[in-house]
Amino acid sequence: MPDSRRFLHPEAIGRIARLDLRARHVVEGFLAGIHKSPYFGQSIEFLQHRQYAPGDELRHVDWKVWAKQDRFYVKQFEEDTNLRATLVVDVSRSMSYGSGPLNKYEYGATVAASLAYLVLRQQDAVGCVAFDEAVRTKVPQKTKRSHLNSIIQALDASAPREKTDIGAILRTVAEAYPRRGLIILISDLLVDRTGLFKGIKLLRQHGHDVLVFHIMDDDELDFQFSGPTRFDGLEIDEQLACNPRALREGYLESLNAYLDEVRHGCAKNGVQYKLVRTSEPLDGALATFLTDRRQMLRR
Amino acid sequence: MPSFVFESLLWWGLPLVGLPVLIHLINLMRHRRVEWAAMEFLLQSQKRHRKSVLFKQLLLLLLRMAAIAAVVMMLAQPLLRNKWGAIFGGARTHHVVLVDDSFSMSDHWADTSAFEQAKGVVTRLAASAERQDTPQVFTLIRFSRAGQIARGTQPDLLEAPIDAQFPETLEKVLGPLGPSQTAAGPVEALEAVDGLPAKGADEDRIVYLVSDFRAGDWREAASLRKSLERIAAAGSQVHLVNCVDTMHQNLAIAALKPAPGTRAAGVPLLVEVTVQNFGPEDARNVSVALQEDGHARTPVVVEEVPAGKSVTRRFPVMFATAGQHELAAQLESDAVTTDNRRTLVVDVPPAVEVLVIDGDARGSDAFFLTSALSPGGKIASGLSPVIESPRYLRDHPLDRFATIYLLNIDRLDSAEIAALEDFVRQGGGLGIFLGERSRAAFMNDSLYRGGEGLLPLPLAGPEELIVDRLEKAPDIEVGDHPIFAVFAGERNSFLGAVTINRYFAAEKNWLPEPDSSTRIIAQLRNKAPLAVEKQFGEGRVVAFLTKASPLETELGSWNNWARGNPSFVVAMLELQSYLSAPKNADPSRLVGTPLSIPVDTALFTPQVRFMMPRELGGATLTVDATTPVNPKKNEQLEDGEKVAPADTTERIAVLNETDSSGIYEARLVKLDGSEVTERFALNVAPEEGDLRKLDAQALAGELQGVRYEYYEAQDINYNPQQLAGFNLGESLLYLLIAVLLAEQVLAYVCSYHPQPLEARAK
Repeated sequence: MPDSRRFLHPEAIGRIARLDLRARHVVEGFLAGIHKSPYFGQSIEFLQHRQYAPGDELRHVDWKVWAKQDRFYVKQFEEDTNLRATLVVDVSRSMSYGSGPLNKYEYGATVAASLAYLVLRQQDAVGCVAFDEAVRTKVPQKTKRSHLNSIIQALDASAPREKTDIGAILRTVAEAYPRRGLIILISDLLVDRTGLFKGIKLLRQHGHDVLVFHIMDDDELDFQFSGPTRFDGLEIDEQLACNPRALREGYLESLNAYLDEVRHGCAKNGVQYKLVRTSEPLDGALATFLTDRRQMLRR
Repeated sequence: MPSFVFESLLWWGLPLVGLPVLIHLINLMRHRRVEWAAMEFLLQSQKRHRKSVLFKQLLLLLLRMAAIAAVVMMLAQPLLRNKWGAIFGGARTHHVVLVDDSFSMSDHWADTSAFEQAKGVVTRLAASAERQDTPQVFTLIRFSRAGQIARGTQPDLLEAPIDAQFPETLEKVLGPLGPSQTAAGPVEALEAVDGLPAKGADEDRIVYLVSDFRAGDWREAASLRKSLERIAAAGSQVHLVNCVDTMHQNLAIAALKPAPGTRAAGVPLLVEVTVQNFGPEDARNVSVALQEDGHARTPVVVEEVPAGKSVTRRFPVMFATAGQHELAAQLESDAVTTDNRRTLVVDVPPAVEVLVIDGDARGSDAFFLTSALSPGGKIASGLSPVIESPRYLRDHPLDRFATIYLLNIDRLDSAEIAALEDFVRQGGGLGIFLGERSRAAFMNDSLYRGGEGLLPLPLAGPEELIVDRLEKAPDIEVGDHPIFAVFAGERNSFLGAVTINRYFAAEKNWLPEPDSSTRIIAQLRNKAPLAVEKQFGEGRVVAFLTKASPLETELGSWNNWARGNPSFVVAMLELQSYLSAPKNADPSRLVGTPLSIPVDTALFTPQVRFMMPRELGGATLTVDATTPVNPKKNEQLEDGEKVAPADTTERIAVLNETDSSGIYEARLVKLDGSEVTERFALNVAPEEGDLRKLDAQALAGELQGVRYEYYEAQDINYNPQQLAGFNLGESLLYLLIAVLLAEQVLAYVCSYHPQPLEARAK
């Protein structure tokens, strides 16, 4: 039995529950249950009658009203639209780095589990893909609360391995989930940027909304190392013994250039991007992201 | 190549220069290992900055190595010598060592003494200098010899080259040396430095003042400061080395001298002995052993001598025979023994001749006066009055008289006055009594001369003292004066019975000048002066403004003092003692003062044989008498000896070797072969036994503005190599500071300093 608390972090979930989640998702129109959908269609709940207009399907005509009033009315129903969210979680070796209580993989998995729990509480469907060089685990989208365990199991079983190939992965995700939905990519994005942007573009072409959680450790962003250090590449077969203070300036230059490239690439493809430090409070990062998401949907 | 003061430091210090490299290598081996995801950016940075980082790191490594090297070099203190050293300061080092050998340096404690400490310092200095590879020369000057150096005598060592044989040479010079008995201070020693050959441009000169730094030696601090400043200004270094750490208990015989009174054979004489306590604690039951002509006398015991105070006791002696007699006082041994003994030679004539000049041929005044001075019978006053007329003053030498009395003189010619003035000027005593023959005009014109003459006051004329029938106050009121001290406290003084009928009044409104030596010592009932004294040259003049004789004159009787009143005899004997005191004052001869003996070659052979004090084994030294360099009649030499007149037969024999206290004898051989012996007592200056010290702080206060270094003798272990040649220590300190600053700047540039967190990447 996986330790669900390992990813759920009840304190973080509790704080997210206090946020006005419903308000955010009414705008989005994805959530069913207590949220009113702006879309109409065949469903359980009757909404209203409308006068028949040419072109309306005859099967929607309410013949009981015609029998009583000799007028054609069409029955309209409230549609329960499900949010089909897919968590695409990077479990490659680069995610195993961490200087705080949680490494990037643990942090990313916790974010993924928290989102899954959040989505399932709204009775929406959530699926999960854990990947490194290839898709390692794929959990179908379901709405049952118990589905959370499957997702957590998938995340837990996917210990960091191998080298990341994001382009192929995103292509696989796009093909595996043809129905439009929300793709949440949780990764350190230490990948080939060309493949990344191609994959995102493909997802967008398939009608998916794409959210990117860019998980980075403080050390990676600030590079506050001192003293003689030998750096062994996690995904690159390179070693470098140096005095990190001497290289810090150049490192930060390269890092910032990379972050700018990712940020612009995401913006260019209409993808919501959020850089998250592993030292930041988990709930704070989620709340910020969801707030940003709502603002995006309003637009 | 520079040499180093602490070369051994160099051997273990220089390998430390490799320490940064070693630390670097160790760090390479024990670096932290980090599995790193963002290698891409790190590799990019490393690729971009590889060369500059390597260069900076190498530079930093070199700077750190240089810093360590600078520290090691600075501690080792490199010295630039030879031609390079000459550029900076000099290649030859001249050690000028001034050693205090005054007798306070004989201060001993445990198994050492201040002077032994000083000798140790000198030996160590020489040993250190010998190890140098640059030319070193050594000059040794003792304080007691400094004065002689100024007169051309060579110091103990003068620019002696320090080589392999030097320790032996120094031992030969230093070994026999001990503290002298002089009170020589540092002033003359420092002045002697000026007399040394001038300091060359290529010479380092170090002046060491090795002393006990007694407070007494530094009374002339301003003069010392100037001397030290002058030495420092000439480019020499000044090192003060203290040889004594604490003050010890010391008693001294500060004085041994006859009390005022007549000195003559068979006449009792009081002698004063003064014990001074220079120590920090009170002394009790101090026994002063006495010797009279080599025979022990009953000691004088002083119950208590408080710390820092002196106590004087008198004891009587009576020399039965005429001639020179010796007295000695001795204390028990203490820290400084030199000042525990004092000697005295007393010249005892068969009788003291007194010249009485009476203006009246009948000599009534002379009769009463001589009767008082020499009563005759069983009473021996030791005085031998000679009554003469005024012409005697002009025709005879007056030197043999201790005192001259002028009684009822009407006039003297100029030759007589000149002879009289010469007599008094040279220490003779003059007593004046007036009378019916005295004329105010003559007295004022010839003897007073507006205050320049012998008479202490200008006279108006004889006056009668109006009889006071009501108050019955005594006619004579005496002041606090040695002549009348014997009457002090007497309730029924015989002075009260004296009646003064007539006297010479002083000029109207005359009062003695406040800053002059003239003083009214007795006055009449009507406050008119009766007795007035004056210092004239070395001698004293006392004028009584009435007659000595109580007999009737044409003006009536002037007084009744000498008529059966014992106070007249007492007063006249006291007057005689008082007037003769300057001539009786034995010149206080100090150790180290040359002894000058006048020799009349018409009577004596010019060779004078001096016998040293018996304590020195009674060695003899024959000195040829020479003509005085600048003879002037009656000129006084510094030491108090009288120089002979500049005729062809007068010579002076001078003994310079008077460094020891005791009794010296000068034996003059008459032309007929007989010998005449004169003895002289030379004693130490008692104040030199004052062992109060100036500590380093007080010394610094006295020597403000003077650049010097201060050392304690027992701690002195510094190596004078550090002073030989140009010491680069200070320059290296500045270099070290520069290197450390550069290292910090470079380390900062290399980002090796902790930095505040930069704005986090967006």
